[in-house]
Amino acid sequence: MNPTLSRILKGISVFLAVLAAVAYVGYMAVYVVYAVDLFQWPFDYDQGEGFELYDAILYSRGKWPYKDNAVYPYYASNYPPLFHLLIIPLLPIFGPHVVAGRVVSFVATLVTGGAIFAVVRRRVGGWFIPLISGLAFFASSYVYQTGPLCRMHMTMVMFETLAIAFIAEFQHPKHGGRNLILGLVMLLCAGYTKQMAVFTVVAALSFVFLRDVKKAVLSGVALAVVVGAVFWLLNAATDGQWWVNTIQANVNEFEYLQTIFFLKQWFDLHALFILLAAGYLIYELFWDRLSAYSLWFFFALGTGLLSGKWGAGFNYFTTAVAAACVCSGLALGRLRNVAARRHTVTEKAKSFAETTIAGASLASGVALGRLKKLLGQQAAARPLRDTAGSAATATRFSPKRAWCFLQSRWRSLRPWASLLLAVAIPLLYLLQAPLMLHLPTAGPVFGPLAQTLGVGGAVTQAHCTAYPYYDKMGYTQLGHLLTEDDYAAGEEILAYVRTSDGPVFSEEAMFSLLAGEPVVTNPTQLRNLYLNGLLDTTDIVARIDRQEFGVVIFRAQFYPDPVLQAIGQNYTTVETVCMNGFSYGILLPNRLLDDSKTQ
Amino acid sequence: MITKRQLGVIVIVLTLIGVDVVGAGEWSGFGPLQQMGVGVGIVGIIAGVILILRGNHPA
Repeated sequence: MNPTLSRILKGISVFLAVLAAVAYVGYMAVYVVYAVDLFQWPFDYDQGEGFELYDAILYSRGKWPYKDNAVYPYYASNYPPLFHLLIIPLLPIFGPHVVAGRVVSFVATLVTGGAIFAVVRRRVGGWFIPLISGLAFFASSYVYQTGPLCRMHMTMVMFETLAIAFIAEFQHPKHGGRNLILGLVMLLCAGYTKQMAVFTVVAALSFVFLRDVKKAVLSGVALAVVVGAVFWLLNAATDGQWWVNTIQANVNEFEYLQTIFFLKQWFDLHALFILLAAGYLIYELFWDRLSAYSLWFFFALGTGLLSGKWGAGFNYFTTAVAAACVCSGLALGRLRNVAARRHTVTEKAKSFAETTIAGASLASGVALGRLKKLLGQQAAARPLRDTAGSAATATRFSPKRAWCFLQSRWRSLRPWASLLLAVAIPLLYLLQAPLMLHLPTAGPVFGPLAQTLGVGGAVTQAHCTAYPYYDKMGYTQLGHLLTEDDYAAGEEILAYVRTSDGPVFSEEAMFSLLAGEPVVTNPTQLRNLYLNGLLDTTDIVARIDRQEFGVVIFRAQFYPDPVLQAIGQNYTTVETVCMNGFSYGILLPNRLLDDSKTQ
Repeated sequence: MITKRQLGVIVIVLTLIGVDVVGAGEWSGFGPLQQMGVGVGIVGIIAGVILILRGNHPA
């Protein structure tokens, strides 16, 4: 190998590795800035955050959030309890504020990224590939946007990642049993954080099944018994409302075009990680043993495919993002390790001999074939055989010989392959980085940075305003930083809630929680139950007809049609407030408006 | 321990069942869902056959 060229390649690889590390650390910085910004925002950023917090508050008071939706306050949760239980220890610190749940979720993403780093490092060694694999998780637009929200999804992904990491080591000679049990406990936690973890359960048990059928059956039965027992207890304790609210209410209509849209978006944003992970899966499927990580990547696609469900979104692909980060790291690490395998002197000599013999054999075989045509078989064969020597005796061109030749050439080129990969790996990570570009485009740091990256002045158009934020994924309701106008708008809406003449009928819970008012209704839950024929709206409509609610706050009008019609007949919009990019409709009862007209 | 051959058989069976379960087998015209079903089915069966040919290597 030319030492000068080698030195140049090494220099380039170091330079590219530093650039790639800077890019992915930069994404991490953007993520932290966004998270800190959200921690200060007291209102719902994503519809549903306040309801998650309210579930935690109910648990802290010893109450179930699984109740009859036909009875006042028409509220129930449609999710399992674990995320809400994890928030409870933070309530004394933060009070009944949404930041408690956001911190839990944010920490969950940090644990997930750390677990990805640890898995890749343990499997392939080194620092660069594990580091970028872990940071890549935070660089994903999907993780960035939903990571610091008071929603349970990222906590589920954390438990899934930990479950797979433990179960992948269930045949460890010393800690195999412990790892299997911990993995099953993590699966249980993931499932009782969000129901969608079922695909990871299938992946984990499939992996155990491939390696040890008996243990897979025992593990599956044990898990089913525990899950079933908890399920039965919850259902019995809530008079069957657990079943209605977490299972029946989640049967929504499915639009496969929505799934295809998200599938394409997921690929466009994470192309390198997905292609590498898919390649790793194919390699293991046909030429090696399937690992827990490849199977997880495959089954995580199942979770993503559910994104066509009403109410679902791109976050259904975050498990697949985590799995792709792990598998791509393993794929690149394996390639690097194969290329970097050191040769002993004997191996080098053997490689040289093989190359020489195979080369001579191939060349003479090809030449022999040509000469045979030109001179005739008898005249050409004898002298050439003498020249080629014993190694090329009776040689002919064949695919097998060509393959041997290529293999031996590959062995001799390994030192080069190692260097070329050292350049190619950071280069690939660098090429992937702009595919998921997202950052605020205004401010003393982000403004010039966005300008440098070619997205200076870019804005994201929301319903009623525009934010200086750029995201490669296109239209999104999340990701932007909050403005002073947003805070002012939140206080304006809160003023209506604080002076309300009666309970507050709001599509977001934080207004009621901040004003110390009872939380009334969970709109999406009411809608889902109504569409499934599981909601009696008689009582709620009667209360609306009597104009018992002091104020109605709309954001998306998710309520069932009879509820919306009753509100339309008895309440009037008095103001529309633009907050966090959404138009909030403030409706007061007609009785109050009539009174003010009379006066 | 499951072999590649056994995994191949499992993959083919699950592919056929899976494609039918998600509704691609409900024949009311050949729309995009059916096209996807056929595509997934063909890939699954090809993968299954290759795995069967891989013999008794551990899966």
